[in-house]
Amino acid sequence: MSIFNAINTSGSGLTAQRLRMDTISSNIANADTTRATVNENGEYEPYRRKMTVFSSKGQSFSSVLNQATAGSSNTGSGVKVSDIEEDDEPFQLVYNPNHPDANDDGYVEVPNVDPLQEMVDMMSATRSYEANVTALNASKTMLMKALEIGK
Amino acid sequence: MSLFGGTIQSLENSLQYASVKNQTIANNIANVDTPNYKAKSVQFNNVLNEELSKGFKTTRTDARHLDFSTESSAVRVTTNTGSTYNHNGNNVDVDKEMTDLAKNQIYYQALVDRINGKFSSLQSVIRGGN
Repeated sequence: MSIFNAINTSGSGLTAQRLRMDTISSNIANADTTRATVNENGEYEPYRRKMTVFSSKGQSFSSVLNQATAGSSNTGSGVKVSDIEEDDEPFQLVYNPNHPDANDDGYVEVPNVDPLQEMVDMMSATRSYEANVTALNASKTMLMKALEIGK
Repeated sequence: MSLFGGTIQSLENSLQYASVKNQTIANNIANVDTPNYKAKSVQFNNVLNEELSKGFKTTRTDARHLDFSTESSAVRVTTNTGSTYNHNGNNVDVDKEMTDLAKNQIYYQALVDRINGKFSSLQSVIRGGN
C-alpha cells in the first residue's frame, strides 16, 4: 500500500470526470452535425450522442482475493472509465427541405443530443471534479502534517 | 516499564485508522458517479479487540476450523450495502463524505500534534528539564 494511495484515488476521479467533460463537450459541439459517419449503404449518418461508463477500480475478483489473503483492508483504488457508449435513441426528424441532407419528404435527421441533458451532466461533472480536488487537497495536507511527526 | 509507554502505540493505531479512512473517503468521492457503487466505511475495532482478548478465549479443535484472530489490523473496511441514494444504484452521500473528510483531517492533525507533544515531553525528560 502506497502512502500516496488516497492522492492516486482522487487523481483517478479527476481523470474520469475530465473525460466525461470532454465527452459532453463533444456532444454539445456536434449537436447539429448531420454528417458524422458513413453507414453501410454509403449514406451520411448524424452524430450519435456519446456517454461515459464508470466502474470502480480494485473490485475485480483477483484484486479482492489478493487483498483478503494479504490481510490488508480493501479501501478501493479509485474509478476508471470502462467504456464510451453511444446512445441508441433514434435521431429526430426536422422539417427543412433546403438542407443538403434532407430526404425526399424534406425531413433532415439531426443528432440525438439534448442540450438540456448535456448541461445538467456538465454541472454534475464540474461538481464531482471539485469534490475530488477537495479530497486531494485534504490528503495532501494530511501527508504534509505527517512529515511534521518528530520535528 | 518501556520508555514510550502505550501512548505512541495508541496514537499510531489511530493515525492508521485516520489514514485508511482518508483513502476510503477519497475512493467514495472518486466513485460518486459510478453506477451500482456502494460506499465504504472504516471500523476501528481496537477497543473491541482489547475487550475480546480479556475474557473471550477460543480454541480450535480442528485445524480446518477458521481462525478467530484473522483480524491483524485494528481497522476494517466495510461496504454499506442495502441503501440507495441515486437511481443508478449508487449510495455515496457527498455531504456526508465531505463532512467526514473535514472531521478526519482535523482528527489527523490533532493526533500528529499529540505525538509531537509526547516526543517533546520525552525530550524534556531526557535533557533533565533543560
